[in-house]
Amino acid sequence: MTPFFIWRMALRDWRGGELALLVAALIMAVASVTAISLFVDRLYQALTSESAHMLAADRYVTASAPLPPAIREGARERGLVTSELMVFPSMVFAGDERNQLVSVKAVDAAYPLRGDLIVADAPFGKGAPIRQTPAPGEVWLDSRLFPALQVALGDTVEVGISTLTVTRVLVSEPDRGGSFFDLGPRLLMNLADVPATGVVQPGSRLNYRLLLAGDEASLERLHASLDLEPGQRWVGIHDASPRVGGALDRAESFLLLGGLLGVLLAGVAVALSAHRYARRHFDHVAVLKTLGATPNVVLQAYTGVLLLVGSVAVVIGLGTGAVLHLGIVRALGALVSVELPPPGFRPFLVGTLTGLVCALAFALPPLLHLRGISPMRVIRRDVGGDDASRLVSYAAAAAGGLALLVWYTRSLTLTLWTLAGVAGVLLVFGTLAVLLLRGSRLVGTQAASYWRLALAGLQRRSRESVAQVLIFGLAVMLLAVLVLLRTALLDDWRAQIPVDTPNHFVMNVMPEEREDVDRLIAQGAVPGSGSYPIIRGRVIELRGESARAIDDAREAQGGDTGVQLGSERNLTWAGVMPEDNTLVEGEWWTPDETRPLVSLEADYAREFGIHVGDSVAFDVAGTRVETVVASLRQLDWESMRPNFFIIFSPGVLEHYPATYMTSFFLPKENKAFLNTLLSRFPTITVLEVDAIIEQVQRIVDRVTQAVELILGLVVVSGCLVLLASIQASRDAREAEHALIRALGGTRRLIRGALLVEFSTLGLLAGCLAAIGAESTVAVLHHQVFDLDVVLHPWLWVLAPVTSALLVGSVGLLGTLKLTSTPPMRVLRGNAT
Amino acid sequence: MSGCVVLAEKVSKVVATAEGELAILEGVSLEIKAGETVAVVGASGSGKTTLLGILAGLDLPSSGRVVLEGSEITALDEEQRALVRGRHVGFVFQSFQLLDSLTALENVMLPAELRGDRDAATAARELLEKVGLGQRTHHYPRQLSGGEQQRVAIARAFASKPSVLFADEPTGNLDTITGERVIELLFELNREFATTLILVTHDERLAGRCDRRLEIAAGRLLA
Repeated sequence: MTPFFIWRMALRDWRGGELALLVAALIMAVASVTAISLFVDRLYQALTSESAHMLAADRYVTASAPLPPAIREGARERGLVTSELMVFPSMVFAGDERNQLVSVKAVDAAYPLRGDLIVADAPFGKGAPIRQTPAPGEVWLDSRLFPALQVALGDTVEVGISTLTVTRVLVSEPDRGGSFFDLGPRLLMNLADVPATGVVQPGSRLNYRLLLAGDEASLERLHASLDLEPGQRWVGIHDASPRVGGALDRAESFLLLGGLLGVLLAGVAVALSAHRYARRHFDHVAVLKTLGATPNVVLQAYTGVLLLVGSVAVVIGLGTGAVLHLGIVRALGALVSVELPPPGFRPFLVGTLTGLVCALAFALPPLLHLRGISPMRVIRRDVGGDDASRLVSYAAAAAGGLALLVWYTRSLTLTLWTLAGVAGVLLVFGTLAVLLLRGSRLVGTQAASYWRLALAGLQRRSRESVAQVLIFGLAVMLLAVLVLLRTALLDDWRAQIPVDTPNHFVMNVMPEEREDVDRLIAQGAVPGSGSYPIIRGRVIELRGESARAIDDAREAQGGDTGVQLGSERNLTWAGVMPEDNTLVEGEWWTPDETRPLVSLEADYAREFGIHVGDSVAFDVAGTRVETVVASLRQLDWESMRPNFFIIFSPGVLEHYPATYMTSFFLPKENKAFLNTLLSRFPTITVLEVDAIIEQVQRIVDRVTQAVELILGLVVVSGCLVLLASIQASRDAREAEHALIRALGGTRRLIRGALLVEFSTLGLLAGCLAAIGAESTVAVLHHQVFDLDVVLHPWLWVLAPVTSALLVGSVGLLGTLKLTSTPPMRVLRGNAT
Repeated sequence: MSGCVVLAEKVSKVVATAEGELAILEGVSLEIKAGETVAVVGASGSGKTTLLGILAGLDLPSSGRVVLEGSEITALDEEQRALVRGRHVGFVFQSFQLLDSLTALENVMLPAELRGDRDAATAARELLEKVGLGQRTHHYPRQLSGGEQQRVAIARAFASKPSVLFADEPTGNLDTITGERVIELLFELNREFATTLILVTHDERLAGRCDRRLEIAAGRLLA
């Protein structure tokens, strides 16, 4: 077998139109997978980099003591970009009387490595990004520090013993927020000025960070090489914001799932067209064999043709995919408001391998079948190939497909679960589809003219019809599920942050100010759900052992010195457990409880080995208070609500001096209200968490858009598979149409029948989709989201109608050429 | 030239059907010498086409042996049988069996191409001249009449320079006059290439032109 012969064979097949469908299906497979991968790759990169903005870096190392220079050197050796910063609380003074507690962030010139600093020319201005940091001797202040300190741009303020000039209004930094201790009004200064301020003293509360940016591999290598000491921590987006990390993980899974369905659908299209090609070559092979072609020659020839065709299809498919993805990006430019980074190499590799695996796993098996075609077929048409090889070829297709999917998703679990789910749905749908088709046959015998013709056609090609209903039903069902779940998903993803969740916290409210503060908040903003008393106090004894002794022992053992049992903490009391907390051990107290009890946060208790029933003594305002641990609670630190490590039972702390903490929701445009509030009550502290909430919501919104987009593409792939399967039944259809026309049927009759046939297919698929989506959503509502099961009658109309219209028009379009073939040509072609 | 080209010994073919086993051929033995022209005749379903397939190595008998040009093809696998066919055998079929996607010339070039012969075109063109289709080399089968298609098929059959030519009802799909012409051509080329010709036919006139008649009925060769 010479390559020359293979080349000529491929060329002749192509000229004869034999290969067009297979090539088209392969191109479609490669193009759709490449397009989806390219888009997903870029979108995911964009989402990741946008979420990296929340760190102002890809990763950072944080510590309560200066970081050893070795880490920075290690990072530079690996080609990573670094930036150093410090965060600490400090008093800032303006003039003789005015002062304010601020959160100082001291940065070097490289800050931020990701995201932008936004500055304005006047307080409360909208601001614009800037690629600079404060020069030595300069500070940039948060808008509301201007009225609070009564300063203007160009004035000076004192930080520690340094005098620094205010040069800009700071609107936001990418990594604003992070912890409750870091939420005061911001003062941004140059890192080089810090030593001169004299604020760095033993015992000061300082946070040192080394920001890192660069490629994933180098970051991971650095992480692996570090031997972090207690008190030093490696932070990525998953650590900094588990919710954003979770949303990204879910997005990746969903996007991959969409791509995975795309690969599966493309594979089906390739297999369908390869089957048609093989079937059309049964006679061809039989003739070649009578002319002396051995089974191995046949195998080599067809494998060669397939590889040749596959390579050409891959090249064209990659190009088409790239163009297609540009189209997607353009079409969705308005929707996806992320600047997309240039694509990586991987999507093209994914496309190429998809093409080759599709060719080998899906298209080769039917061609392998040709090897066993008996030459006797030239004399007796009824002689087929051997059926044993068919099983082997299906197994090969399954194995190849599975390998491709696992490689594509990089997760065996996700793939297997998806396949299991799809198989389950297909089984149920398959049964339903068969029943529905039988039903339509019954209707068909009652009906007249092209209705009967159409329904008889569906019945005759029942295996294909069932497959088409299944594929389309599944695609529409997934889309319907997503539409129905959209609200539930968003609610879940946005978790405890609905639109008017309190985004500001007020602390240090004196008891006598409490009513006035509440009244003012009610006038200018949306008040949150109640206020909490806060009493400062610390643990002095645990199970009779002094807290100091315990802390000393822990320090001697090299434990985490950052957290001490004897530290002063915020205490509160409550009759009912705060709503986001979950009880993990013990019991919450009853309203008539008279014993002094405490409930502790579970991780805090574990850190110090405290159990339910232990006795704990506190020092509150100089008085000893004896309590017993009644329960342990788990907190949701992402809930954006006040959380307390230690809660007392009512009746213990009431007569100690307390301050209050409250919360409210303030829309962005009303930020100036903070000035009114702060100037009326200068001693209170306001914590702003609105920036974090907004950032999280934006990311989650984009993730949702991306998922919808991918499912839309899956429906498009479904349409293409439909076209391929129409092409696969082309020969039989052509012969049928010719016969009907020879017997006097008009072209209109045939087209009418086709329209009815495909619309019925679509209608059945839509019905299945409605049933499937409704049950899936009902189960999810009931089991996962804890919502009432609601039926959606509109879906029962919309899904079948839309699907009937879609499949009807795509089907008619796909068969338009078939109906215009002159009947004579078909009949003559069949005679040979 | 004299030796035995085809030898069959006690060839039987049994197939499984819904009603049990059905014997299509039973104990057929025959010997065909080089250069002979032999007609296999019999009623429809008598087993003559099955016999032709087995003699040509397209199919295997259930029992018995067949020797074709010195190779015991019943002892060979499909791979080796194909090689024997490629070297020694040519075919002409009732339904022509031209490849639709290939032109007349390409169809005739096929055997040479399968052997890896690069200059297949010249010989093929000469053969098409011989069968009177020198002007129609670039026509596709569907652009040719039935008689023309069969002439292309005959040209293809001789393209591999076979020593034995098997023909299955070569005139079965043609009208009488066209059939006559095709027969003329077949015998003429057969003489020219000194080929052994074995044909299956219903056509008494065609059978009458052969050196020998083998009549088959209910799977048995009549003496």
